Amino acid sequence: MSPWSRAHALLLLGAVVGGAAIVPARRLAAEPFSQTRVNADARLLADFKTRVDDYAALLKKLEATLPKLPTEATPQQIDSNQRNLAGLIAKARAKARPGDIFTPPMQTLARTLVARVFASTNSRTLRESIMDENPGPVTLVVNGRYPDAVPLASMPAEILKALPPLPEEIEYRFVGDTLILLDVRAHIVVDFARNALPR
Amino acid sequence: MRNRPSLSLIAATTFAATLLGCQACGSLRVPGTSAPPSETVTVLEQKPSSAPTPLPNREGSLKFAVLGDFGTGDRPQYELAAQMAATHKRFPFELVVLVGDNIYGSERPQDFKKKFEDPYKPLLDAGVKFYASLGNHDAREQRYYKLFNMGGRLYYSFKASKQDVKFFALETTYPVPEQLTWIEAELEDAGEAWKIAYFHHPLYSSGGRHGSDLKLRETLEPLFTQHNVSIVLTGHDHLYERTKPQQGITYFVAGSGGKLRMGDFSANQPFSARVVADTHVFMVVEIFENEMTFNAISRTGAIVDSGIVLRRELSREAK
Repeated sequence: MSPWSRAHALLLLGAVVGGAAIVPARRLAAEPFSQTRVNADARLLADFKTRVDDYAALLKKLEATLPKLPTEATPQQIDSNQRNLAGLIAKARAKARPGDIFTPPMQTLARTLVARVFASTNSRTLRESIMDENPGPVTLVVNGRYPDAVPLASMPAEILKALPPLPEEIEYRFVGDTLILLDVRAHIVVDFARNALPR
Repeated sequence: MRNRPSLSLIAATTFAATLLGCQACGSLRVPGTSAPPSETVTVLEQKPSSAPTPLPNREGSLKFAVLGDFGTGDRPQYELAAQMAATHKRFPFELVVLVGDNIYGSERPQDFKKKFEDPYKPLLDAGVKFYASLGNHDAREQRYYKLFNMGGRLYYSFKASKQDVKFFALETTYPVPEQLTWIEAELEDAGEAWKIAYFHHPLYSSGGRHGSDLKLRETLEPLFTQHNVSIVLTGHDHLYERTKPQQGITYFVAGSGGKLRMGDFSANQPFSARVVADTHVFMVVEIFENEMTFNAISRTGAIVDSGIVLRRELSREAK
């Protein structure tokens, strides 16, 4: 996926705030609080985008220092490549802590966006889909390898659409009700937001 | 889980299926198809009391298998894999199309062995090539695994070595906009008589857990219809299903290669022609000129569905 353009980010903003960004001016004047909220969400999303883009840039830079993974690799080569890359990232981000990328306000926004999807669809089916192969809560560590014993759970398309898009090196996954950012190249947890599913 | 049918209903819907041979079905029309009334499309006629349609096993035909939702490493996967190996001895298919959820759970090197290389060893040893697409439980790095023949790509196409057939593998868990542009151009450029698309999420499914992916259908179905795709192969719901032709295209769900959600489907969906949700199933397919013969085979070796599909362009010409 190519890096986000500003236009893309604006389009995204329109989508994630549920159309609030394009309400008529007359209504905006009557609801100054909504506009404030939109601006706050926009700032959060822009900040989140900067953080994930910075991570992806670091990942690419580190990946370039390793031998290129062949397109006809053995499982051992894939595994070794992941672990070597994870080692480099752990070194480069030695001070990384939970909330560095998924900042607390962004976590709150993510919970809101997910809750909005649940409210607009068959929430039981959606929850069942997320919980398919989902083992429930496990210990997660930033920069730690995604737990080998934990299956990758489904990410319903509705939720992916609602959340801000990510560069191709990172994807959203649920582990229990925790929403994680998974580095697909190094197979490590980049950051996470607990209690991301509505009760 | 919606509308779980009774076991007796499941039994009634999973008897060894029976379809007329092609010589008998030349211009039959499937009742209930959504195709325009004047269009002769896929020609299948169910006759529950007659024998399954045999695979012609012709020299020079393209023979392949279809498998999905399989990589558990558990006993049912191994039993179905043994049936695939036994089938291969009498029907030497040269490739297997994988419709995703290839490795469940951990994906360490030993998992690739236990959940893929060991169960399908007889096929791999016989030179059968597997062409994967990725499911929602698959790590994206599987695209580099040499035995999945994805060449590091999430979506790709390849031309079969026999007959005039081209396959298109798509990634439907995290589809990027570029993929849509790509598939449109690929389908437009493809001059092959048979165009077969395969990916994980079904456009049509009676499955209780997931069902039809309507958003994906909205995006892909017009392209498939416009560009003469004849067959679409998917997984995700853990059952076997064949649809009545939908705008001329027959859709299959082959999502019980290792996982099975016993009896979990919505009965009487208008698009559905056959559902098997009480046993694990893989498909074997033979294409020769304008005909595609298929058998769906269970882990006990029973043929639970079979029939013949005419390539779609020919169906149009037959109007």
